[in-house]
Amino acid sequence: MKRKAISRRKMLQGLGACVALPFLEAMTPPGVSTARYVERIRPKRLAVFYFPNGVHSEHWTPKGRGNDFELSRTLKPLEPFKKDLLVLSELKNREVDVRGTDGHYAKTAPFLTCHNITKTTGSNIDVKGVSMDQVAARQLGGATMFPSLEYGVDPIISGVDQNVGYTRLYGSAISWASPNQPCSKEIDPHHAFNRLFRTVVPGASSGGQDPWRKSVLDLVMDDAKRLNKHLGAADQNKMSEYLESVRSVEKRLTSQDKLREFEANITPDIRKELVKLNVRLKDYVEVNSGYDVTQKVRLMMDINALALWSDATRVTTFMFGNSVSNRNFSFLDGVTGNHHTISHHRSNDRLLDMYSKINYWHTEQYAYFLEKMRSMKEGDQSLLDQSMVLYGSSLRDGNSHQATNLPIVVAGKGGGALKTGQNLAFEKETPLANLYLAMLKALDVKVDQFGDSERVLTEILA
Amino acid sequence: MRFALITCLALGLFTSTLSAAGYPPDQIHYWDVVMPIMRKYCNQECHNADDLKGGLNLERYDFISRIQRDGELFTSLIRLVENGEMPPENKLQMPAAEQDTLLSYIKKYLKEALAIPNPGQIPPRRLSMREYAYAIQDLTGVSLDPTEFFPKDPSGGEGFDNFARVLYLNPLLMERYLEATEYIVEEAYCNVDRWERIVPGYRQSLGTALRVWWQRVRHDRDISLEGPLAAAETQITDFATRAYRRILLPQEKQKLLDFFTEVYLQLPAIPERFDISMQQVFKAVLLSPNFLIRQENDRPTEDPYLVSSFEMASRLSFFLWSSIPDDTLMQAAYRDELLQPELLRVQITRMLRSPKLKRMAESFASQWLEIDKLADPSHSVDDKIFPEYSPDLGKWMQQEAVDYFYYTLTGSNNLLELIDGRYTFLNEPLAEHYGIEGIDGENMRRVQLDDPIRGGVLGMGGVLTATSLPHRTSPVLRGKWVLEKILGTPAKAPPPDVPELEEAKKTNDEMALRELLTIHRANPACQGCHQEMDDLGFALENFDAIGRWRDSYGMKLVDIDASGIMKSGEAFNGPVELKALLRSKKAQFAKSFSQKVLGFALGRGIDFKDSKTVAALSETLLENDFDASLFLTEVAMSYPFRYKLSDPVVVQEF
Repeated sequence: MKRKAISRRKMLQGLGACVALPFLEAMTPPGVSTARYVERIRPKRLAVFYFPNGVHSEHWTPKGRGNDFELSRTLKPLEPFKKDLLVLSELKNREVDVRGTDGHYAKTAPFLTCHNITKTTGSNIDVKGVSMDQVAARQLGGATMFPSLEYGVDPIISGVDQNVGYTRLYGSAISWASPNQPCSKEIDPHHAFNRLFRTVVPGASSGGQDPWRKSVLDLVMDDAKRLNKHLGAADQNKMSEYLESVRSVEKRLTSQDKLREFEANITPDIRKELVKLNVRLKDYVEVNSGYDVTQKVRLMMDINALALWSDATRVTTFMFGNSVSNRNFSFLDGVTGNHHTISHHRSNDRLLDMYSKINYWHTEQYAYFLEKMRSMKEGDQSLLDQSMVLYGSSLRDGNSHQATNLPIVVAGKGGGALKTGQNLAFEKETPLANLYLAMLKALDVKVDQFGDSERVLTEILA
Repeated sequence: MRFALITCLALGLFTSTLSAAGYPPDQIHYWDVVMPIMRKYCNQECHNADDLKGGLNLERYDFISRIQRDGELFTSLIRLVENGEMPPENKLQMPAAEQDTLLSYIKKYLKEALAIPNPGQIPPRRLSMREYAYAIQDLTGVSLDPTEFFPKDPSGGEGFDNFARVLYLNPLLMERYLEATEYIVEEAYCNVDRWERIVPGYRQSLGTALRVWWQRVRHDRDISLEGPLAAAETQITDFATRAYRRILLPQEKQKLLDFFTEVYLQLPAIPERFDISMQQVFKAVLLSPNFLIRQENDRPTEDPYLVSSFEMASRLSFFLWSSIPDDTLMQAAYRDELLQPELLRVQITRMLRSPKLKRMAESFASQWLEIDKLADPSHSVDDKIFPEYSPDLGKWMQQEAVDYFYYTLTGSNNLLELIDGRYTFLNEPLAEHYGIEGIDGENMRRVQLDDPIRGGVLGMGGVLTATSLPHRTSPVLRGKWVLEKILGTPAKAPPPDVPELEEAKKTNDEMALRELLTIHRANPACQGCHQEMDDLGFALENFDAIGRWRDSYGMKLVDIDASGIMKSGEAFNGPVELKALLRSKKAQFAKSFSQKVLGFALGRGIDFKDSKTVAALSETLLENDFDASLFLTEVAMSYPFRYKLSDPVVVQEF
């Protein structure tokens, strides 16, 4: 026998006036907010895009230097953004490029941390540092609903790699909130959209508000605190992870002020985009296998761009795939097989050609994102002008696995902090961390050193 | 600290300073006599932090305890030195006397390490998403697809998703727990039968109603809470005890009751008042770390000790059922029966007969065989080349493996049939795919096979597809799989900087696969591992990339050569001969399988300290015709499964 759930309305009637009906005002276009919005300080944003398995080396680096350069075959889709680009050569993630480590996992986890990780099948996960995006999130995140958001397409890879002795978790995360804790990435477009926008899009699935949520969360935090007193090091660690997680959820879900502020920032333009995206999402169904990955990537990118535009967050990362990605790329004309196997091209012409096509596809998606950002206006500027959008991989050539001369592009003017429209080659083996340090500075993050950085990469700064 | 120590050693200042610091004589002797030999012949030129030859840094081993912890590594190093493979010919050679000293002492350390019983520590861990969903089902009756709510869990140790240290928590997960909890409680309530099983409810009798009314009129006092509170107390205690898998502490119970009262008093007198209040309390229980995190209490001792009765109940139920203990197990725990070996056996036997064992079969088999890959959308089959393949077919392939594994546990009770058996599990589409006739309908059933090629994991579509590329088979991947899963001897990581072969540049997919691979392993650095790996894979070449039988390649009708030679010298041709050969390598399979199951049962990696347990479990298999029930019972009765060590930090703090 079935019965209807107790409606929230009934519960709330029961409570009388002690709890406000949530978010009803959000359903009507905010009258005052437009004016407020224009006056708001336009924040700077950071977005990172990671792709696995490196690049076809000869098709990557543009010809010419400085502001006089010609985009390479792989970077061709970025032609419309040439003036917004920094193509950077000869950067190296030095700490990870040592003998005796593995080619993929040991380079993916440190892509944004610039430290050598502990080799383990899981008992002592340690990336030795906090990733660059999380450093930024710690300082910029206080102002927004989410300190940072992490996106991707594929779930964490299962298992441990018995040949090299690493847990594949290391290959599944680039954002590390602490040396032992990766951020979970959101890979489902519906979840990702609803998490941010369910209260502001009419008709999007709404979770509603439970009046006792806060009491429930307080109660379970008490449990954790009590347990915490009687525990050893490892246990305390687990319990503090638990506590921090509940705290952060409670802060966001029960603080009406931040939500109001966020909702007030939803301009009619943003709302229009959200409604459109919501319709596309309703049509999107993921089946067990063989979904259209281009479509999925673009949906996730749209959500990513809207998250930045609506100021739900100022820091995002995006993984096109996990380390050693075995994505089947046969949907591209002239490609047969999976990404990782093809990246081991053995200098074979046919494989190199396919490899290059896969790289090109990635750049096309990145260009799509940049186009999105450019179409999103903030006063007389675009979102792209206000942002730094890093695009790169943790390897140069997928066949030889070296972390030297990494393929790295930065787009966007970072609110005027970056001197874009340049193709720059640095001295060989310049630390990648120098770039991150410069980007953090450009974001006005107070930091003097990052990873193995030696200096600020001032050449990119305006 | 360590650097300071190394500096001391380098300056030769150590003896006086360190013995004064109270290091045991053995350790001092190691620094004085043994370590210098290792430093001179092993570390100095190759195995140090900078050169890292073979990925090995022996400088790290400045304490005997470190050698003991990495006993497995040192066992293999001893073998290399004894065989004369190390130091290599072109390096400084170790004189016999020094080699003797070095090896005899390292052997002594390793022997000592094994003499001290060490069950290992089991750190607290979050329930895996799989376990969470089953626990919710057993607790509330609500079935939940964890993939709809949660990101996938990472794996560690022996390759399973119940590995403590990687099961982290973060804000995103917590948010999802909150959503799932709200969904679960609402779903539980929506079904009246389900709800009444966990909340029989509170009905006010006419007498009570009158009494309440009278009290209110006479004394101006509201005692209406007494009845519901008493009912709530029973129902909350029952629910939370099952969820927390132990007896509630008085203050825990009080807190939940206080919360019940708080909600109840805020609500007006609507008929659902009691139920709404209970719902809120259940949410708090389901979000509590007491439910979400498995955690055993440490005791103030450095010696191993038996885990408590309730902790044992959880260890058993999460191992065999991927879920919380049932009422019978909880009662047995309450009576301390699980601490008595004979009574413990009774419970294990009962649990092995429960249909819930199927959950273990599914979780273990799909992870061990790595066929869960088939459900990963990025790892898809090229549908232009294989239009016959569909996600549904993939699902049935996974089901075949799970049903088969379950059958070796419960039906045939013979784990050796995992390698070779004369039956499998099929439905109509899968049978058609395999070219087997006479199977109607979509339900999976056991089918006796006339042809010996299919029975066992090596003939399963799931395994054969998961070890292929989207567009063709890969003998390398299949050979690697056989080495890892059946023989337990994973290949080493490929050496870095393998130079490109000129020949390789000219290869193309039109060439016969065998020819291609022969060219690729022409480099002597590759030959060692690849010869065996590729040959093992070639034995399965008669199965195409989606597991169908074929006699020749493609349109050109090139015959398939499925012959090869094992490292140990035996020749084979095709899957049937390979299976017979692998079946004869019983001892290797028994060891590798024991290690996997023990790792799954404990939720941690298996290492040197567990050698005795692994050896004993392999013996059990070998001496009892791979009896599955007996084997699983022995895993659950084993020393590390029943005992534990405290976290050293706790011991110090007490």
